[in-house]
Amino acid sequence: MKQILLITDGCSNVGLSPVVAAAHASSEGISVNVVGVLDHGDVGELGAAEIDEIARAGGGLSRLVNMRQLSQTVQMMTRKTVVQTIQLAVQKELKQVLGDGSIEALPPEKRGEVVRVIDELGETSGLKVALLIDASASMKPKLAAVEEAIRDLMLSLQARQGKSEIAVFHFPGTRNGDDCVMDLNWTSHLNGVQAIFPKLQMGGTTPTGPAIMHVIDFYRQGDYGRHSRDETDGMMSGYVV
Amino acid sequence: MATSFRAELRRGAVVTGKWKQGIYRVERLLGEGANGKVYLVQRDRSWYAMKIGFDAIDLQSEINVLQTLAKQRKQGQEAYLYDVDDMYAPDGKKYPFYIMRYVRGLRLAEYLKQQGPEWFPLVGLNLLNKLSKLHEAGWVFGDLKVENVLVADYGHVELVDYGGVTANGKSIRQFTEIYDRGYWNCGPRSADPGYDIFSFAVLCIQLHEPKRLHQLTAELLPQNRSSADLMEIVGASPALRPLSGWLRRALDGQFRDGSDAALSWRLLLHRKDTHRPSSMPRWLKGLAAGSAVLLATSVYWLLRNVL
Repeated sequence: MKQILLITDGCSNVGLSPVVAAAHASSEGISVNVVGVLDHGDVGELGAAEIDEIARAGGGLSRLVNMRQLSQTVQMMTRKTVVQTIQLAVQKELKQVLGDGSIEALPPEKRGEVVRVIDELGETSGLKVALLIDASASMKPKLAAVEEAIRDLMLSLQARQGKSEIAVFHFPGTRNGDDCVMDLNWTSHLNGVQAIFPKLQMGGTTPTGPAIMHVIDFYRQGDYGRHSRDETDGMMSGYVV
Repeated sequence: MATSFRAELRRGAVVTGKWKQGIYRVERLLGEGANGKVYLVQRDRSWYAMKIGFDAIDLQSEINVLQTLAKQRKQGQEAYLYDVDDMYAPDGKKYPFYIMRYVRGLRLAEYLKQQGPEWFPLVGLNLLNKLSKLHEAGWVFGDLKVENVLVADYGHVELVDYGGVTANGKSIRQFTEIYDRGYWNCGPRSADPGYDIFSFAVLCIQLHEPKRLHQLTAELLPQNRSSADLMEIVGASPALRPLSGWLRRALDGQFRDGSDAALSWRLLLHRKDTHRPSSMPRWLKGLAAGSAVLLATSVYWLLRNVL
């Protein structure tokens, strides 16, 4: 199971639409969840609509939260999406048996058996979550809470019986033209990781869409940077047709 | 989340099960959990609690746990789960629900406020016994917190909201941050009896020093949270200090399971009772009184069942 979890506080303003990018992810079998972090004000009507739309296109969930709720939301969303992903797969498998294909339409006894299978798979199957963090200037005071949420998520994932890995990215990159930078490659523990975002220079644009594409490419390659390092247009090569 | 629940059920509303046609009349809302709402309902002049789920898969997963627990139930124990069905709400949407035993009781904090803090040791013991029964059957309660403990007459304890109940060894299904062992950097977020006992210790602190506990969560950096911080609150609290040895063991995961923890809790109270009668806190006297009442009730029940 593959997920992208986008944590942002506002609107994208550069490059490909994040909604299109999320739809790309979905077609690659990657669910996109979006958390909008509020501080005192809010993300604005436009921001809220975009956050909702990205998750819709990416087949995931979206939520607006304040910083105190961040850890719990991230944890809960990841869990729900795991169930949802398996539910869809099971539903597909059972289509012939279930007729209209919906688990909800089954009588409670049958539903119980199906849900038992979903729960079991949800606990034991492999899971990869790529966290994509908006590091534009307004996110700066929220990064500590984001880091806490990532550590907390790792703790929850470690308790699963299946193999669970996370990777962390932020955007925009520090150098001009970098849409997205990897902070942490696939790992199943954070022991010894002192700071996930050391000396991050915040600011610049908010290329949410290109950053999502970057992470899709990362998933596709399986091994970060192995192929694209030598190419002049970097990550773009994977999806620009 | 994606699912929003607008179907408010008013008093007098009639719910008919889609599959089994059970008819329930709604009396009032009892509470709202993480994944559903619980109403007090009536059927054939008996009272029940009805939980309506926000999500069919999620609620079914909880029902599966309850059904497995029901199969493990020993003879003579009262049934907990009565009916499982779907309903159509006034908004036309279909919601899953289940019917469980209605527990008359007060939330833990309210009970102690009304009946007096001297009931705390007995209620704590009953709660530990309740947890140890679950542990013996291979389960962990998971989301243990003040809000999920109901207390009826004479300190009789019931756990509510089984949404967090998790089989041993799996990842905890539902939890609340400040009661969570992982949150305090004190161990994994997976199910073992020690997880519940840790939450129980935090529950003791929450009952006696809610403000300090809240303050602590706001002040500490996440990576610095530890059981030592919790023990600091315990040391500074006259109500908790007599329990500090027990609480330290609970927070450090030194009890084998619920029954080990319950035994030690009982011994602790007993030992203080015999060795330091002069400094016996008021609530210890309460424990003695409570035990007497409990004994009387047991004798009464015994006689009633025999005759």
